[in-house]
Amino acid sequence: MSISNPNYSINSLMAKLYENSMEAIFFFDQHGKVLAMNPAAEEIVADDVLEQLYSGQANAICGVCRGYMSETELRTCLTCYFNAPDVDDFSSFQVYLDTKGKGIVSYAASYHVIDSDQQLYAFMLKDLTTQFKTQEKFYQNTMMKHVIEAQENERKRISRELHDSVAQELMSALIDLRVFKYMTQDTTLLQKMKHTEASMTRLLDDIRNLAVELRPAALDDFGLEAAFRSHFKRLQESYGFTVEFESTLCQKRYSSEIETVIYRICQEAVLNALKYAQTDKIKVSIYEQNKLLQLIVEDEGIGFEIGSDPIGTGLGLYGIRERAELVGGIVNIYATPGKGTKIHLQISILD
Amino acid sequence: MMKNRVDYQQELDQFREWLGYDFMSLALAESAEYHYVIKWKYATGNLNDCFKGIVLQSGRGIAGIVFKTGKPMIIENVAQHIDNELLFNYPIVRMEKLKSLVAVPLWNDNRVAGVLLGGFRNEQRVTIEMLHQLDELAHQGIGTLNGKELKLS
Repeated sequence: MSISNPNYSINSLMAKLYENSMEAIFFFDQHGKVLAMNPAAEEIVADDVLEQLYSGQANAICGVCRGYMSETELRTCLTCYFNAPDVDDFSSFQVYLDTKGKGIVSYAASYHVIDSDQQLYAFMLKDLTTQFKTQEKFYQNTMMKHVIEAQENERKRISRELHDSVAQELMSALIDLRVFKYMTQDTTLLQKMKHTEASMTRLLDDIRNLAVELRPAALDDFGLEAAFRSHFKRLQESYGFTVEFESTLCQKRYSSEIETVIYRICQEAVLNALKYAQTDKIKVSIYEQNKLLQLIVEDEGIGFEIGSDPIGTGLGLYGIRERAELVGGIVNIYATPGKGTKIHLQISILD
Repeated sequence: MMKNRVDYQQELDQFREWLGYDFMSLALAESAEYHYVIKWKYATGNLNDCFKGIVLQSGRGIAGIVFKTGKPMIIENVAQHIDNELLFNYPIVRMEKLKSLVAVPLWNDNRVAGVLLGGFRNEQRVTIEMLHQLDELAHQGIGTLNGKELKLS
């Protein structure tokens, strides 16, 4: 082995690595007794196990080990790396340790012979918590995207089916029924028909409402502005809330993904205002500026303390952020107790 | 039609005088050509006229529920029965600041044709007896509604 700079010897470098490495390094003999462990290793082992390790107890490491990930199982002790290091390849595997103060942490580990004559082993651990978290986050994001997409598609399908097929059939039956009215003079029959007609009209209305609530056809057919206008009209009629709506989009269309995100976020934000703001006026504006599509939902209600415990499930705002992330949007939430709440969503759009 | 309007309002005012409710209102199903909506058409003791703009979907709100189920309804304490965050589903309760109420269906030729509501602006003012009393009244017929209930047996 050569070293380019004569001022440093491999021994001194290795000693420095051993002392200062962030990686935990253990040396074991063939009986599983610890020969040495570096400061980083001592750091993660609980005090009582540390004592056992130093007193030379065999397999003391089991006191912290919580299994490893084998080819067949997520966490197992079967064919333990420690007992059978030669059977399987343990040059790189994932192991779980119950660490001091941080609970169970997963590490990327390697366990291999460093001296086959004396049967000496080195066990090295690298903390992968942050990498796993990032990976999980990415994974979650992709999953969430698929779930939301699947949900929207399914809603769209059912909504279309209700609107185009079920409601249409009912409508033609209703028209047939209306024709009957001109075919008889029997007043009891006419009265009865009037009732049936009323029931069917109500049923038709219920089906239409169901379809719109699932996913408004207007969103797919005419875009955001039209969908918002009819949504707000319904809010006004059903709940007596006034939504002041401003839009400069006219009939401009965006990708279905962006339109869905904007629509759902606005829906959620407005619903939050209905539920918690204790006001009957909400202001919604939507416009395009600097290649950013902007949505602002504000009210002058009771507001809330940002970061305080949510009154509801707290999932609403979380969902808003999740959805925004799907299209690379940014959500800013401003709230002052007693003054109101404002939600600002920005999504970059490419021409 | 004009005659009915006067009748309903007068009847409602009279009911309130007899029964002592803070607020009473009458919801009727309105049949438009292709839509069927429930609206609070008449009220007495109301704080404002906001309720007139409300269009209820069947199954939604006090009137919607009573209309759909055909069953009387009693809420002794609004705060306990309805979560504050769900109060927006009951516009009449919110707008008229009702704290306890009873609501009964109005029958006409075996069908629910409307809903009669009596409410108070403080809690625990309604009792089961009051609910029965209002229900009985509704069964005697109001305006052009004959009060004839559909009995399944």
